[in-house]
Amino acid sequence: MKIKNHLATAALTLTAMTLSANVAYAACATDDLPDSMDGPGGFPERALTMIVPYGPAGGSGQVAQAMAEAVTELTGVAINRDHKPGGSGSVGMTAYMAQPADGYSVLEHIDDAASAHALDSSQPNPAEDLIPLVTSQITFSQIYIRANEDRFTDWDSFVEWVKAQDGKATIANVSKEGSMERVNMKFITDATGMKIQQISFDKGSPRYGALAGGQVDALFEQPGDVRTFLDAGTFKPILTLLKEAPDVFADVPSLTDAGFDFEPLLRFRGFYVHKDAPEDRVKWLQWAFQKAYCQESYQKYNESKFMTLIESFRDTEGSRDLITSTIKLYRDVYKEMGLSAN
Amino acid sequence: MNVIDNFIGGTFALFSDPVGILVFLGGVLGGMLFGAIPGVSMLTLAAILLPFTAHLSAEHGIMLFSVIYCTGVYGGAITAILFNIPGAPENAPTAFDGYPMTQKGQAGKAVGAAVMCSALGGTVSAIVMMVATAPIANWAISAFGPPEIFALVFFGLAVAASVGAKTFWKGWLSILAGLLIAIVGLDPVGGIARYDFGMPYLLAGIHFIPVILGFFAVAEIFVQAEKKVTGSFKAPKVGVAFPSLGELLAHKIAVVRSIIIGFFCGILPGIGATLAAFMGYNEAVRWSKKPEEFGTGKLEGVISSETANNAATGAAMIPLLALGLPGGALTAMMVGVFQMHDMEPGPLVFLTSADLVWVVFAAMFFANLSILLIGYLETRTIINLLKVPFQFLAPLILMLATIGAYAVRGLSVDVVAMFVAGVVGFFLRRSGYSLPGIVLGLILGRIGEQTFAQAMQMLHFEWTGFAGRPIALALIVAGFLTLLSSIYGAFFKKRKTSDA
Amino acid sequence: MKRLKTGHIAEFVLWVAFAALLYSFTYDFDQEIEIYKFGASSWPRVILLLVVVAATGQLLYHLARGNGEKTTFASAADDGSGRTAAEQHHDTPRWYLATFSMLLIPLAYALVPEWIAAALSMDKAGLGTIKTVVALVLLVLFAFAARGNHVGAMLTLPILFAVGLQDFGFYTLAPVFILGVMYLMGERRPGRMLIIAAATYSVLLFLFVSVLYVGLPTGNVHPFYDFGTAMVTLLQ
Repeated sequence: MKIKNHLATAALTLTAMTLSANVAYAACATDDLPDSMDGPGGFPERALTMIVPYGPAGGSGQVAQAMAEAVTELTGVAINRDHKPGGSGSVGMTAYMAQPADGYSVLEHIDDAASAHALDSSQPNPAEDLIPLVTSQITFSQIYIRANEDRFTDWDSFVEWVKAQDGKATIANVSKEGSMERVNMKFITDATGMKIQQISFDKGSPRYGALAGGQVDALFEQPGDVRTFLDAGTFKPILTLLKEAPDVFADVPSLTDAGFDFEPLLRFRGFYVHKDAPEDRVKWLQWAFQKAYCQESYQKYNESKFMTLIESFRDTEGSRDLITSTIKLYRDVYKEMGLSAN
Repeated sequence: MNVIDNFIGGTFALFSDPVGILVFLGGVLGGMLFGAIPGVSMLTLAAILLPFTAHLSAEHGIMLFSVIYCTGVYGGAITAILFNIPGAPENAPTAFDGYPMTQKGQAGKAVGAAVMCSALGGTVSAIVMMVATAPIANWAISAFGPPEIFALVFFGLAVAASVGAKTFWKGWLSILAGLLIAIVGLDPVGGIARYDFGMPYLLAGIHFIPVILGFFAVAEIFVQAEKKVTGSFKAPKVGVAFPSLGELLAHKIAVVRSIIIGFFCGILPGIGATLAAFMGYNEAVRWSKKPEEFGTGKLEGVISSETANNAATGAAMIPLLALGLPGGALTAMMVGVFQMHDMEPGPLVFLTSADLVWVVFAAMFFANLSILLIGYLETRTIINLLKVPFQFLAPLILMLATIGAYAVRGLSVDVVAMFVAGVVGFFLRRSGYSLPGIVLGLILGRIGEQTFAQAMQMLHFEWTGFAGRPIALALIVAGFLTLLSSIYGAFFKKRKTSDA
Repeated sequence: MKRLKTGHIAEFVLWVAFAALLYSFTYDFDQEIEIYKFGASSWPRVILLLVVVAATGQLLYHLARGNGEKTTFASAADDGSGRTAAEQHHDTPRWYLATFSMLLIPLAYALVPEWIAAALSMDKAGLGTIKTVVALVLLVLFAFAARGNHVGAMLTLPILFAVGLQDFGFYTLAPVFILGVMYLMGERRPGRMLIIAAATYSVLLFLFVSVLYVGLPTGNVHPFYDFGTAMVTLLQ
């Protein structure tokens, strides 16, 4: 038995060494926070509820699960996840705002909350009507083609081919007008002057199936969501929507490489609490969620979703800055696009 | 043969793993139980279990759902027969003759026939699925784009409109009403809010599961409550006499016909088992020498419908696994199970996880067989539920339906939608409109609009583009022919004297 | 015999009016979609036009063939609910009017508290109090209306229960609802009602909350919210 244990330990150490050689595991953003913290007046006395405005299977559902588990691991406080999908996240937001602001319920949300507020200011502003506890995932988009595609092979040949099709080339994208995905696509088409028909898919799986099955010519997506296809060698990225290419995608042209100078919109997911929640409870929640970000289980999860390629962590102030600047960016774009900003 | 090797491999993998056996047995029992308890269905069980499948391996999670699917489709027959509450729309035609049989004190006979026919239909279908899914999957990935799926939806709706309602026109109006309900919420192309009337919760749209629960379970409670209040309620007699083998053999043609119908209907996404059951029943009536006896408690009615809907289960796995296209609510939740394990159903599954697929196939085969064994035992106990006084059973059923509707999305607006659907169903049952038709329209409305839009975008808004896609064209033409023949029949066909 | 009945014409008019009303609403979302030239309103409009076509088809059909024979399905699906209704005078205009007005009670709950709170510009706690008061008033109104029309009450009670779920929670409302359904169905033995209601309530909570961890609505209004969350803590 003993030998077996030793072997296992050795194997673990080896794995850890290989990992740390690839990824900068050494330091994590919230390592200097205290390891434990007493809640005010025994808070929380019961399980927390986490409202997730999306289904359990998608990116939000998964990050909510990973974060809830990490917080429970760290504090021993159970978290019940309550999925309320629909209306691009607005339904869960409405349900959350109607709940008592006692600090026992928290909200998971994504950048859609910021763009929704930019479009319609009667929607809650996540930086003001809510207090961001932590932003735990920030990621970028890419454009993918089939790996065995022979009509074009990289970004330059793709643009050239698309222009030759005179508007008949197709790319699969999400179906929400004014969404992060559609605005980024607008930036690209405006800058290149190419005409490409976007095909609207509201769910991930048919969107990926359309590219794999040859129904469309390209796909707009974030790398974490199509990682299985990338690892399987079915899809390959031809453009990274970042100013500077991360190491993993060093071969893929970044915006700078491709000669663009627009500021790309990012996808981010984070956790929030109602602004009227008692201040001391909010402090404890901030500690718990920010510290949980650096739990090993959470970091592993983020890594598996390509969420460590750029810095994913923002604390409360950092999240507010991110959200506020994002809202401003969307407002400008919407004005230009003529989308009703009231 | 490759299929047999794979099947043996899958069987071995399934039964050599204790956790696998546990999950399998749990699924068989759970599916039957939830199918049989009034007010909850296999959908309720599946919705509740969905988050927990994250703790199972992908193999076990998907296997669990496919087992629940097989046994749940059968389990829904029990409530259809005993309480006129179809566990799911696919059991609705079972109630047409099954419930009158219960009222005649022949509940045992009806349930017994449902047990045997479900097992038989399901098993045969599982075998065909094993032989056919892989080839279909390989071909389908490139052949079935949005235009083809839209054409399939259109064809499916055209067929569905022609059956199930008092007249063809009522059938169409039912389907259209379902399509209208499906419009509420964000549009599938641009995310624009439609018919939300300023109510934020309506942006989520109206989900079909609460509507199904409302139309069937809740509306039935209302009907019984009315009888109870007015004193015309009669408690059903309890009979546990099983059908003899001879009685079943006498209906062998009905069984074979329903298997064939069930399998082909099952392949249609979004319609599958429901249409199968209706078509199986419809054809039984059409072929019968005494069609007027149907609806009064005829054993053949139960047999035709139950064989067909279980035959559709195996077939419904084909579009799911081959195209990533869920055929109904339960297969839609299976997509969720796949995604929770970072997988997408679709042709790639066959390449990346063939082992999993074969474990699932083997499990479905044995689940259908086990209906026979456990169903027999279960039947003897479940029938006793009829002895519970209705005023005590009704609140329990309504509570279970409430939890079932709420559990789907965690929205209390879904509970409201369910009870409103119950009231609407209560009144519509007097009108000759088709409740299953409305449900079908609702289920297929969104996918229909979305694939239509995608098809138009892909074909550059040129209608002639459909002509360049033979499969889509064939399905659309078939759909129009179905419509035209129904319209012709509605106006010009001579009245059959036997139908009067 | 005159083939076309008033009912058929009324049905046709109802469908067309309904379609026209929904068509007029399509202008609210008649928005352009950049990548889809048919926009968000074409699909609904086509369906609404088809509704008019089908309703016209039905009218012509009745004109040609009278009431039409019942197909086997309809006769099979007709389990006598129509007959029961006719025997008990539950299909008279008066009964329909009484029932539909009772169905307005849940609608009133969905709208009135918001109006009052908006008019008095109240905060969340104030809205909670208003909701409690309005709910109690409507409940009394319902009990009064239910006296003469148990079937209508049976249809209304579940919807009333459902619209209150988000504010008052499953844990508070379920026992009241269970007892109400039993009463409306004619059960009058208080001992039996209480025992069976308690059994139903506890079995449901044990199965779904303790074993299956289903998150049932706890309610948003104090003190119902506190009761709901205490129950969850107790059961989990």
